[in-house]
Amino acid sequence: MHEMSVAMEVCRLAEERLSPAELPQLITVGLDVGDDSGLEPDNLLFCLEALLAAPPFRNARPDLTRCPGDVLRVTYLELDDDRPDD
Amino acid sequence: MTVRTIELREPVMARNNEIAETVRARLAAAGVPALNFVSSPGSGKTLLLERTLAALGDELRMAVVTGDVQTQNDADRLARHTTRLVQAVVTGGACHLDAKQVDTALEAIDLAATDLLFVENVGNLVCPASWDLGEDAKVVLFSVTEGEDKPLKYPKVFRQARYAVLTKTDLLPYVPFNVEQALGFAREVNPDLQFFRTSALTGEGLDEWFNFLRQLARRPASV
Repeated sequence: MHEMSVAMEVCRLAEERLSPAELPQLITVGLDVGDDSGLEPDNLLFCLEALLAAPPFRNARPDLTRCPGDVLRVTYLELDDDRPDD
Repeated sequence: MTVRTIELREPVMARNNEIAETVRARLAAAGVPALNFVSSPGSGKTLLLERTLAALGDELRMAVVTGDVQTQNDADRLARHTTRLVQAVVTGGACHLDAKQVDTALEAIDLAATDLLFVENVGNLVCPASWDLGEDAKVVLFSVTEGEDKPLKYPKVFRQARYAVLTKTDLLPYVPFNVEQALGFAREVNPDLQFFRTSALTGEGLDEWFNFLRQLARRPASV
């Protein structure tokens, strides 16, 4: 239910970590999602895909890893430095 | 294609939790215990607060932050029972309050002239469990019309809560609800839960609840 709030926070973290020039180069956002985190992974994926498709991002892909516990963290950001502008 | 990976170990809720700690420190500095009321919609959070404000208003200076997806109806209801400010947070679709909203709401509350803070969360047993608001303790409410297994279905919020209020006990003669079984399920999830049984309609159990709040207001350091 609150997956969109969480997805927005993930995007905010990415925007905080990356420069404006890097944001369109982002291709993957890695996340650990705990089984007890209170999140429905498919729903979170849906929200992240929607947000990461829109500016300042450019079709970045969420990569969710299920794990035990209530962990919820961004594990990595993957960028393609040579991504062409289009 | 030149792919570069930035390794992170960034908890997604870190920012909310930081703000929650700020709220907690602010409340502690002012000596104001804060309770975060969570329940499914319609369990009776607002009515219990209405009764509380009406009964204890002469003894305790109570402040309320109340959250709803839409409308200020609950804030209006509560405001009828107190001369103090009731802060309404309209979340505009969000299914929970977050720490930033509480932090902002506190700006309008004179904490130096407050003995007790109530935060009435959005009616929902799932999402509020993920957002620390800086409260001292969560109070989870569930009514006798909801089924005994509520604690088993929503274990996260029952695990986090320190107090549980069984509401609408006046309906017990009319509904098939096994109180002992419900309390047993709740204890299974959280053995440390302290229970209250109340009917805001008849007043049953409210004295115990009020006495608990009186004591709480007197010992703000350890809820």
